[in-house]
Amino acid sequence: MNAVSRLAVENGRLEKKAKAEVLLDVVDVTKDYETREGEEIRALDRASLSLADGEFVSVVGPSGCGKSTLLKIIAGIEHKTSGSIAYRGKPDRRPQSGMGVVFQTPVLLPWLTISENVLLPIRVLRLPRKAAAERTRDLLALVGLAGFEGKYPGELSGGMQQRVSIARSLVHDPDLLLMDEPFGALDALTRERMSLELQKIWMSNRKTVFFITHSIMESVFLSDRVLVMSERPGRIVEELVVPFARPRRFELAADPEFNKLVSRIRDLLGASIDV
Amino acid sequence: MYNPAKRRRKRLKNFATNALSLLASVVLVIVLWEALVNLYHLPSYVLPAPKAVLAALIDGLAQSPTSRAGFWYHLGDTLTATLAGFAIGGVLGLVLAAAMAEFRVVERILFPYVAAIQSLPKVAIAPLYIIWFGYQIESKIAMSVTLALFPVLLNTLQGFLSVDRDRIDLMSSLNASRLQTFWLIKLPTSLPMIFAGLNLGIVYALLGTLVAEFIGAQRGMGVMVLQLQSVNDTAGVFAILVLLAIVGYLLIAGVRMVQSRVVFWSGGTTRKPAA
Repeated sequence: MNAVSRLAVENGRLEKKAKAEVLLDVVDVTKDYETREGEEIRALDRASLSLADGEFVSVVGPSGCGKSTLLKIIAGIEHKTSGSIAYRGKPDRRPQSGMGVVFQTPVLLPWLTISENVLLPIRVLRLPRKAAAERTRDLLALVGLAGFEGKYPGELSGGMQQRVSIARSLVHDPDLLLMDEPFGALDALTRERMSLELQKIWMSNRKTVFFITHSIMESVFLSDRVLVMSERPGRIVEELVVPFARPRRFELAADPEFNKLVSRIRDLLGASIDV
Repeated sequence: MYNPAKRRRKRLKNFATNALSLLASVVLVIVLWEALVNLYHLPSYVLPAPKAVLAALIDGLAQSPTSRAGFWYHLGDTLTATLAGFAIGGVLGLVLAAAMAEFRVVERILFPYVAAIQSLPKVAIAPLYIIWFGYQIESKIAMSVTLALFPVLLNTLQGFLSVDRDRIDLMSSLNASRLQTFWLIKLPTSLPMIFAGLNLGIVYALLGTLVAEFIGAQRGMGVMVLQLQSVNDTAGVFAILVLLAIVGYLLIAGVRMVQSRVVFWSGGTTRKPAA
């Protein structure tokens, strides 16, 4: 058990979560870069966290604090310098079915149709296509894009493209969904709507979600837990539990307890910026 | 929104405008040319009248393809060498660029040679090819390959090396093999650059063939230009230049046509692939 979840149990806040099966256990993961001048830079400093099955966890932190690096290490895109990652109790083993990753930009392939884009993980993982075709239609309907199967990415708006990439991240039914500031490139209105949609999608499948954002409101609105990171070298400095029942609505923003959480996070981030 | 009928009408209108202005400028040049020749009584071996050029062109084209005095006999050989040189140079350029982009070792070994040969005026190699391959079509193909290879190689390499990091990350997150990443991402992503190389390659293939024909050959448009020059048949030389311009234009148009089918997603607008 790592430091964060130990703390949670001690505080008695997360007893229920701690009993749920731990999906991902990240312990003391550190990442050092070497710059071209040969200078060592520590991007991530002994980051530890664990995700329970079906949990929605956000990470907020100042830009450049290493939160994207942490996500890329979990996704197997980047190597860690030290520390360990265990997946369902097995150290350094990545899930067979791959993970679902949503990037800040949609990363769709312009030569493939929308449904071919969604099917990309099926092709790469060599999963049966027939069942996947039906699933693709269902997922596109879930993200509000029924009827767009045969279109090309260039014919869709930025928000629609990002929804396609969410459908793509779910098509191979991964246990873990990693989202790296998925709404960062969208305008404020689209962004709010996407938060609501993501909540709907999450409620319909209860995937474990690891969600990176620099929007404090978004993190509190969507998550079961919010992890706050310090400036580089990134460390997880605090964990906050968000108690509100779902479905949550934007009226929550007027709730005093919601605002207490938001200002607590803001203080933490402000403090780390001042340092 | 996408409207095929409207777009087609607009394209037709553009085409008509372009064709008309082109026709007008050609007529103007011919009239001026004819006037110049008549006004200053230029001898026909310096500047033949347009009428004489047209007569030479018709005469050359009217000959049987087996006649050494006709254009077809020579054009066939030039075209064969050009297309063979383009095909070999194109494939070679693509394969070498892929190998250099995928394997650092190959890049390290080949790059100094590529850079060295690239800075050499490659036309100077032609006499060597005559020594090696003789006065037949082989020398022409060799020269054509030499000139067509480099634009394809360098543009393709540039394409492979500038593939969006996010697309590679997406594949890594799905545990994709290197081969999968190459076929599904790198190759299609590089297609616009590959075609930029092929567009240059076809022009250089024709140029290489003509250079080899000037240096030493028994057949070909280059050979014929030298023969006509030696008997002061300037109208004939002009006729061949006109023919070569048309051939060059058609070759480029052919590559462009394939390009617009294959790389339908690239270049400003997003179009559906032609059925």
